Amino acid sequence: MFEDRLRDLLISGRNQARKKGINAEFSFHREKSSLIRLGNSAVALSTHEELTRLDISVQQGRKVGSSSLTADITSSEQLQATLDQAAENCKAALGKDYEPIFGKVEETVDDSAGFDPELENFSPEAKTDLYAEVVKALKPKGKYDFSGSWSSGSTEMYYITTANDNEAYRRLTDSKFLMVLKEQNRKWELSVERTANKTGTFMADDVIAEFSSLLPIYEKNSGYKTKIGRQRVLFGPQAIAELLMLGIWGGFFGRFWEEKRAYTAKNKFGDKLFDASITITDDPTNPNVFGMPFDFSGKRRRPFVLVEKGLFKGLLYDSMAAAKYKKQPTGHDLSNTDFVLAPGNGPAGLEAGKKLAKNALYIPHLHYTHLPDPTKGMFTGSSRFNAMRLENGEFIAPLFSTRITDTSPSVFNNIVAVSSISVSQNESSTYSRRMPEAMSVPEYMLCDNVRITDVADSF
Amino acid sequence: MNTKVDNIAPAVKNQFERMIGSGCSFADARFYDEDSSQHIVLYDGNLESNNRGFERGIGVRVLKQGAWGFAATANLTAISACFDRALANAQAAAKLLGFPKDMGPAQPTKGQYRPPVEKDPFEIPLSEKLKFLKDIDTSLRDKTVAQRIVTANFQRRRIYYWNSEGTEIDRWVLNTFGSMMVMSPDKDGRNQRRSVELYSDGTGTRGYEWLTNPDWFAGHAERIKSELSEILAAESLPPGKRDVILLPGQGFLQVHETIGHALELDRILGYELSFAGGSHVRPEMIGTLRYGSEKLNCRAGVVENSAGTFGYDDEGSQQRDFMLIDKGVLVNVLSCRADLAEANAKAGKTVVKESGTAARASAFYRSPIDRMTNINIDPGQDGTLEDIIKDTKDGVVLDVPVSWSIGSNREHFHFGCEIAWEVKDGRRTKVYKNPTYQGHTLEFWGSLDKVGNRSTWRLHQVPNCGKGEPNQIMELGHGIPVMRFRNVQTGEKE
Repeated sequence: MFEDRLRDLLISGRNQARKKGINAEFSFHREKSSLIRLGNSAVALSTHEELTRLDISVQQGRKVGSSSLTADITSSEQLQATLDQAAENCKAALGKDYEPIFGKVEETVDDSAGFDPELENFSPEAKTDLYAEVVKALKPKGKYDFSGSWSSGSTEMYYITTANDNEAYRRLTDSKFLMVLKEQNRKWELSVERTANKTGTFMADDVIAEFSSLLPIYEKNSGYKTKIGRQRVLFGPQAIAELLMLGIWGGFFGRFWEEKRAYTAKNKFGDKLFDASITITDDPTNPNVFGMPFDFSGKRRRPFVLVEKGLFKGLLYDSMAAAKYKKQPTGHDLSNTDFVLAPGNGPAGLEAGKKLAKNALYIPHLHYTHLPDPTKGMFTGSSRFNAMRLENGEFIAPLFSTRITDTSPSVFNNIVAVSSISVSQNESSTYSRRMPEAMSVPEYMLCDNVRITDVADSF
Repeated sequence: MNTKVDNIAPAVKNQFERMIGSGCSFADARFYDEDSSQHIVLYDGNLESNNRGFERGIGVRVLKQGAWGFAATANLTAISACFDRALANAQAAAKLLGFPKDMGPAQPTKGQYRPPVEKDPFEIPLSEKLKFLKDIDTSLRDKTVAQRIVTANFQRRRIYYWNSEGTEIDRWVLNTFGSMMVMSPDKDGRNQRRSVELYSDGTGTRGYEWLTNPDWFAGHAERIKSELSEILAAESLPPGKRDVILLPGQGFLQVHETIGHALELDRILGYELSFAGGSHVRPEMIGTLRYGSEKLNCRAGVVENSAGTFGYDDEGSQQRDFMLIDKGVLVNVLSCRADLAEANAKAGKTVVKESGTAARASAFYRSPIDRMTNINIDPGQDGTLEDIIKDTKDGVVLDVPVSWSIGSNREHFHFGCEIAWEVKDGRRTKVYKNPTYQGHTLEFWGSLDKVGNRSTWRLHQVPNCGKGEPNQIMELGHGIPVMRFRNVQTGEKE
């Protein structure tokens, strides 16, 4: 439950707005964040931030203005000043050529199910100790440097508007662990990732075991420079999450579709977009995601289907795009979604995926992706951690940095198999504020005819 | 407690004494008395963002046993607790210590910085700004234009910096950004666009008057509309190897991604490996690596009207102007004080002598890391753009990035641009759409064979460079002349 002092303050702000006849939305964000950065096998930085942020949006007719405050929000005067600034911006605003949708909390939400007080206060010492254990176990075995980051903390989000008395509150904890092993001379990189919303979900031994399973291929074989052209690729979880996000960005945002800028622009609901093994939802109830129960227009978030068995089923409309194009908002006035690529019928386990792939490139991570042409769903990005050449179902060599430039429709139509097991892929960011986000993706996805456009002579 | 700077300063200095007494070798604090921002977006004439932001708080660092601890709070009555948290973080970090961080010799400094500004954008009424932007939006309307986006962003910061060596810096930061873009689908249904961002020739001031100078912004509305029409009627750039002439509007990103990031010392030393990536440069290469042809002269510059100019960095070092690449040879990198000893030790010789004054933080709640400042290419001796075109038998002129993707060690890249002009036998012949090019960093810069003169040099700003964990968005600049590269892979085969 939201702290009484802050709740009372924000509700008094709402009352003040109502008294003045101002239509206002209040979004409050509070974080307690800690992060350890590992570099050169040592802790390079240890940080802690405690921050509160208030965003107020005011709407009068077709005019909208907003104001944000990041400070120690303790007084009604601060809140009033932020409300006044938003009202002033609204007054000076240009009216839109459509009727904007004003936020309204559909139903009261009070969700602290994902909160773990232990994880909120997870100590930097404990993180350092786990890193130290892994470094101690593996560093003597080769010319290795370790880097990584481990972020943990809590996030509270509270949203109310003058439209009704409902309140939406969410409190959760999250943790994102990454450790990278780099060979000093040849510069190849291996990584291990973990995500959690509670403490104690993994131990140093797990990390050591995962690195140890990858090391022999990298140690015993020189880099493999693959050929440019279309090839079979076995994608791993991070790469699949990246492909999923690129596919959604290019094809499933209502605004882009309406403006004919999406690669789905010529399609209507029910059309076949992808292979029948592909089902994509935004599902806050999936156990692998952090599950945001409401958005910042007050919409209750429920499972929302974009693609079902390859067929086009839905588009994402935030309230702005919905208002402009006279559609219903879909609960997407937020940046932390809960996308799910459903598991398929492929055999469980990476080993089974390897046997199925036989001869292929294994690319579990895609680095620095971009969309050169969203209207065709074209993306580009290069391989990075843990990438290997598969022959006869076995890893035989690490891959040199390999660039893929292909389209989402092509990749999602050239599916050979999708694993029947799903995993959580942490996509959280801390740009400007802590924003926990995860996707649920199959542990592998095997695709044919993936277009390789460049290969480096190094990792 | 009164939270005005007159009270914050002595409270912070008391904490320095306490931290040094607790065994710290260094401590510093940045107090953001004001961090104001304004973000305005007109999308097809509709005001889609109309936000004013304000941030206030303090970020502190302590260095103990060679390890950094950082903490930040907006609660200015809890400065002592914030230092305690930073100290605890440093102590935890010291349990797994690598090369001990060392600030080197003390460099106590007292200074002030005020950027050159005629009109503070925050003193201009919102209604006046909206009228200005709306007029640009109106001028972008055309039957060939499907979408129009016009934006303006302003930042004003009052930052006080103090450290345990006695340094005291009082500075204002003021940045102005603007952009306009027109878009339309071509005959194949593919979205095409043409845009311009606020830029300059490096002279002048950086307040609201910069945005309203038609030479650097509003005066380009007709040009981008007209060029979009040409793009819509054009064919795609056929794939093949040809010479590439980068206008500053594209050259700035080439420099940013394949020189700037690669020369950040924290990346070179491996401290950004798990997130932003590493670098193909190793410490021992500084001073000897041939990064490009002899035509390549790159510097960390001081350009007054640029978001990459800030007077003093976020550990109190006065910003300076120095060469990074001299006649193609790598001679220096972007650094802060605490990493110099490690770089020299790893190189086995002195490769960096003093801070590159590149320690920058995006907000009070972020710790300083190595960032770009103004990473500029010096003007060359190869004449104007037209002179370079005249000298080109088979090539393309490229402008403004659409997409960019770079290898994790900045060793290779793939860029898409808004527009290409074909050059055949010394003349611009036609426009191509969907231009892309790719290459390998050292080979590409090695193929640089023409660098335009001062008349071609333009200052472009980057308002959104992302790096670091916790994540930070930084503002910076690039002064770039026209550049020609030989025999580059361009276009897509399918």
